[in-house]
Amino acid sequence: MTRWVTIADLERCVGCQTCTVACRHANATSPAVQWRKVLDIEAGSYPNVSRTFVPVGCQHCADPPCMHVCPTTATRQRADGIVTIDYELCIGCAYCEVACPYQARFLEHTPHFAYGGAAMPNEIERADMSRMGVAQKCTYCSDRIDFGIENGVAPGIDARATPACVNSCIADALHFGDIENPDSNVSRLLREQRHFRMHEEIGTEPSFYYVYGRADEMPVAPSDPVFASSMGAGELRTRGVEPSLQKHWDWKAAGNFVCGGAGIGLFAFTALASFWQSSLAAPGWIAMALVAAGLLLLLFKIGRPWRSLYVMLQPRRSWMTREAWVAAVFFPLGALAIWFASPALMLAAAVTGLLFLFCQAMILRAAKGIPAWRIPAVVPLIIVTGIAEGSGLFLAATALMQAPLAAVVAVAAVILAVLRFWTWRSYLAALANEGAPTRMFAVFDAFKPWFFLIGLALPAALIAFGFFSASATTAAFALAGLCIAFTGSALKLILVTRASFNQGFALEHTPVRGSGLAGPAVKPGWSTIKA
Amino acid sequence: MPRDRPHQERIVSTYCYQCVAGPDLLTVRVQDGIATEINPNFSAAAIHPGGGKACVKAFGLVQKAYSPNRVLYPMKRTNPKKGRSEEPGFKRISWDEALDLIAAKLNAVRAAGLTDDTGYPRVAASFGGGGTPTAYMGTLPAFLSAWGPVDMSFGSGQGVKCTHSEHLYGEFWHRAFTVSPDTPLCEYLVSFGANVEASGGVCGVKRHADARKRGMKRVQIEPHLSVTGACSAEWIPIKPKTDVAFLFAMIHVLLHEQPRVRLDLPFLKNHTSSPYLIGPGGFFLRDPQTQKPLIIDAASGQAVPFDTKDIAPALEGVFTVDGIEVGADQEVTAHRAATVSPAFAHLVAHVKDYSPEWASAICDVAASTIRRIANEFLDHARVGETIEIEGMTLPYRPVSIALGKTVNNGWGGFECCWARTLIPCLVGALEVPGGTLGTAVRLNRPADNRWASVKPGPDGFMDYPMNPTSKDDWISRPSVRSAHRTLVPLVANSAWSQALGPTHLAWMMQNEDFEKLPHALPPDVWFVYRTNPAISFWDTKSIGETIARFPFTVCFTLTRDETNHMADVLLPDCSDLEGLQLLRIGGTKYMEQFWDYQGFALRDPAVPPPGEAKDFTWIATELARRSGLLEKYNAAVNNGAHGVRLSGPNYDFSLDLGKAHDVEAVWNATCRAASAEITDGVESQGLDWFREHGFRVKPFPRLMWYLYPKLIEQGLRFELPYQEHLLRVGKELERRLHEQGIHWWDKQLAEYEALPHWRDLGALWENALAKHFSVQIADYPFWLVTSRSMQYSWGGNVGIQLIKEVAENVAGHGRIVMNRAAAEKLGIGDDDLAEVRSPLNRTKGRVALCEGIRPDTLLIIGQFDHWVTPFAKDFGAPSMNSLVPMLLDLTDATGSSADLVKVKITRLEGAP
Repeated sequence: MTRWVTIADLERCVGCQTCTVACRHANATSPAVQWRKVLDIEAGSYPNVSRTFVPVGCQHCADPPCMHVCPTTATRQRADGIVTIDYELCIGCAYCEVACPYQARFLEHTPHFAYGGAAMPNEIERADMSRMGVAQKCTYCSDRIDFGIENGVAPGIDARATPACVNSCIADALHFGDIENPDSNVSRLLREQRHFRMHEEIGTEPSFYYVYGRADEMPVAPSDPVFASSMGAGELRTRGVEPSLQKHWDWKAAGNFVCGGAGIGLFAFTALASFWQSSLAAPGWIAMALVAAGLLLLLFKIGRPWRSLYVMLQPRRSWMTREAWVAAVFFPLGALAIWFASPALMLAAAVTGLLFLFCQAMILRAAKGIPAWRIPAVVPLIIVTGIAEGSGLFLAATALMQAPLAAVVAVAAVILAVLRFWTWRSYLAALANEGAPTRMFAVFDAFKPWFFLIGLALPAALIAFGFFSASATTAAFALAGLCIAFTGSALKLILVTRASFNQGFALEHTPVRGSGLAGPAVKPGWSTIKA
Repeated sequence: MPRDRPHQERIVSTYCYQCVAGPDLLTVRVQDGIATEINPNFSAAAIHPGGGKACVKAFGLVQKAYSPNRVLYPMKRTNPKKGRSEEPGFKRISWDEALDLIAAKLNAVRAAGLTDDTGYPRVAASFGGGGTPTAYMGTLPAFLSAWGPVDMSFGSGQGVKCTHSEHLYGEFWHRAFTVSPDTPLCEYLVSFGANVEASGGVCGVKRHADARKRGMKRVQIEPHLSVTGACSAEWIPIKPKTDVAFLFAMIHVLLHEQPRVRLDLPFLKNHTSSPYLIGPGGFFLRDPQTQKPLIIDAASGQAVPFDTKDIAPALEGVFTVDGIEVGADQEVTAHRAATVSPAFAHLVAHVKDYSPEWASAICDVAASTIRRIANEFLDHARVGETIEIEGMTLPYRPVSIALGKTVNNGWGGFECCWARTLIPCLVGALEVPGGTLGTAVRLNRPADNRWASVKPGPDGFMDYPMNPTSKDDWISRPSVRSAHRTLVPLVANSAWSQALGPTHLAWMMQNEDFEKLPHALPPDVWFVYRTNPAISFWDTKSIGETIARFPFTVCFTLTRDETNHMADVLLPDCSDLEGLQLLRIGGTKYMEQFWDYQGFALRDPAVPPPGEAKDFTWIATELARRSGLLEKYNAAVNNGAHGVRLSGPNYDFSLDLGKAHDVEAVWNATCRAASAEITDGVESQGLDWFREHGFRVKPFPRLMWYLYPKLIEQGLRFELPYQEHLLRVGKELERRLHEQGIHWWDKQLAEYEALPHWRDLGALWENALAKHFSVQIADYPFWLVTSRSMQYSWGGNVGIQLIKEVAENVAGHGRIVMNRAAAEKLGIGDDDLAEVRSPLNRTKGRVALCEGIRPDTLLIIGQFDHWVTPFAKDFGAPSMNSLVPMLLDLTDATGSSADLVKVKITRLEGAP
């Protein structure tokens, strides 16, 4: 077996960006699309300061989250570990981009040129429209590796078979080779040098190793989390290093979670209620329209909407594909149920809908690049929120219809609002326990009082008021329901678009530089460092 | 629409010499006739010290070639008014018209006389940093040589932006125009702001990365944590411009806190002037008969001439000796029974008070740290050990001291250079394996061979081509506008001397007369190539105004810029990837370039030039032809003015003198001569061979990296520690100047000391600024410093998108870098827009807060403030160049100053 890996020697790297430009040349990427780049990370406080240059890019993980989430099978893994993208299959949903903890993927919707409008001759010569609207990233220069294998020259040794970044490195900081071969250049280096992999705790098994000191020399300064976390964001030059807000999933992507959750919740309540009350076609249709609208929004978001049906191609791994398949069952089933006013069919459709909701929760859970999404506690949060929103909408609907059911629904809605609040608190506690970007907490902290007030206290009060004041019941229940629904939507909008800070970059150790000790861990912008 | 696959592909060998750390050998991938990729030249991996790699700047060459902002046709100015606010109204003209226009001016100059009434050349030329434009200007040097006197003293950054003191004193003491550690063997390096990781190029980066992996400890001493500081084992944030005190304290520790036996006493006794006796007048005490300096033979207790065989020179002690002193203007003072001591003893006494405790208060560095660094240096020096290099046993002293810009130019540069050269002498680490080496000679001759430049001079030292200071020979009437040979004896008289004089004086003299020097008129014709002094000098506003007054400026032009905004004619020349040239490579040179080979590399055009851009050799030939200089020009080419002499003992590829030769014919003959030179006339392959192979080399002996063997061979000593020669030269210069009635250079004369004293450089700067601008200097609480950027420096590549894009990955580019705590006190936040104001001017930009800078220091990387250069004019980046005044008070004796000024910073608005 072969497994190609790259080693970046942090003791050698000077941050010159020659690898960055060499990659830009070799792969003809657009301005600012840097499959390979070198970070400049400062840590500590004056005068005890370190500054480390850290090459980053696709880590060609052994267990690549980008591949697991890809709904189209566009992202695959070769037998030699290289993670590939088929530009002809990719729909540009950017799911891989939020799943990648290394910010390695790029999505460009229209061509960009160095000097604005007009392309230069070299840009015209190498323009590749197949990359527009789809995900792109480092390929490990796989064409060179394949050339090497076909022609009997060793990747990582012979320049013709070696990635451009490695070839270009003027400090000999980058090395490439087969880690499965114990005699290879990289295996030897890793035996001789202390090393780590970035974000190893996420479990993606990256094939990118960072060397930070000689294995046979010098103890290492302890990566004391207290010391490391004392290098808080306020004392660091961390532009481009600390977690930043992901920009790939915008309000349209959030709209799918908002509409999908609320729609499924509403449908579920409609289905349940259909056993007691007929003529609930309207809320049923509204629920389905909501779910459909959410999915429709995605069509406007993805890079290649005409390929949208490719989303069905990866049910074995991708929760996005599963969501699509479940939707494919839910819509006809739901339509038949409403059409025939069949409570049994409604219930079956509702169960399918809840599966849809579960898929949505799992979509976030599988996005390993976003700490706020990937923790298990996001699953109950999304499900409970969806159902609570549904209860709110259904409460508003039944109140306005002055259905006798409204009182029962109101009680259920309050219970669900309480449950939702409790789930939310548990979710936040889990995040705090796990460690997450500090700016993410700031976003949630700002939202917390509003969520309590409008999502729980106010609707509870309104409902209580509705029970006591018959004349105001309709208005109080309707308003309470809308409050519950609105706050759930707001929560998801915030979760997807404003709290979705990525993993950022981190070092397990700063390197030795010729002499002395390797330094402690650096993880800027994080609440804690999890070992 | 994209093409599936390129129809045709070829790989072209060339080089990048955009900076002094070049040339980098590289290849260009050309697909369907379009240059698409830069790659290392791996066929050069075995012969190039950087493994055939090319630095980040080289990758900008494709965009440089295809930039939509290229000037494609010769242009003529239509607006006779010049100035920043005047639109030049450039109008396209034919090459014939452009060249005829220039030739007519040149012919008029020739008719009027090559120099004006004051003796200054009527034609001037300014070229960019470090001589790198010669790698692109084809045969233009032959044209300039054919022309006659050309004023090249209008600097474009020289002196200001270079390690100027090192250039002059380095050449003086050890043929070291540029100084480098012997990095492959060095184990301990004290680096005062030397930013080798940014300015050392491919070779520097590779050699230092290898050294780190070997365990070399580099201590970086500088006010901010540079890229090099980042890659060092230790960063010591020193107060700006106080490095002299740190270095003096290191000398103190070695001489006053360590036993003598730990020093390399044989080296001091036999290879330096340490045992030379110093007379009561401060000059060497000499033998009355031979006038040779005397030393005490410890065995006999007698004073004997320094070159007496089989003696044991005394370094210390007080002796009673007869002898003479030879002072200024050969004035002889006889002494009877004078009480004298050797130079070394004078040195010991001189540094007695310069203790680490004394330095600590000045440098803002703990005395214990200074002491530790000095002792670590000594601990690593391996005094007494040897190493074999190519069969010769040499001292092995793996310790060195590196100096960066601002440390070794301007006031204090002399002291720093002296100390950094002396400290290695104390442990025998100068010009030996592992120690401190020179890389190139530019003031001595021949320029391509350091060993050959070592010739015996007076008093047992190497000869040095000092400009005359004797009454008869002193050059009272300057030959060029900077008066370099008149004012700076050390700057010598090589092809490089003009560029290394006080080049800002040439600019200043356009605005003010210097008493007793001729009034300097602007040049009738000014040629500009690969430089933009309106951005790259000091006080750029004033420079721009001066340039606007030049009557006829010809700019060789890739894109429009702030200097050619004032041009009368723009001539579009080939970009780096389009022109043809053969370049000498290898040997030892500049920044960490220590090769085991030497030879030639071809710059083969990868792509044709766009529009009507022309190869420089064609332009030079046409200029020569149209100005009636063709024969002289061809003769200069034959003589090798363009880099290779076309004939040798057993070969002759000389050009027909009467003919205008085409570009390929010139370089084919050059390639053939190069082949013959490298094979002693055995082979003579021409351009086709070089096109196929890219370069051609022969071995360069590693022994030649070191000057020590050559000094041993010739029985010479390093002229350290005592600067008797400089002391005499300074006194003579003082007399000459005063005889002429010139007193405005008196401050500079104070630099001519036998043993340099500490002077408060911070106060010197502050007082000069306060005096000239009538300001309260306390209102300017910060020191503003700058730092090189590997992405930008020297490259003239500020208009290249790719370079800007990747430079932004390196913290601080395009911003005002400031200490976070200091900023908080002023209410300045990260990314805030702020104004930095010096007593002269102001600049503005966004703030980048960090911890890696002293609270009393601001940093602005690179040189920006463009207002014409396409693309760059939209950066909004700050630049310190507009803030630094040209002041005589801030000019040292070598004619340089430093990128340093006091400033205040004010927040303009918050982060966007």
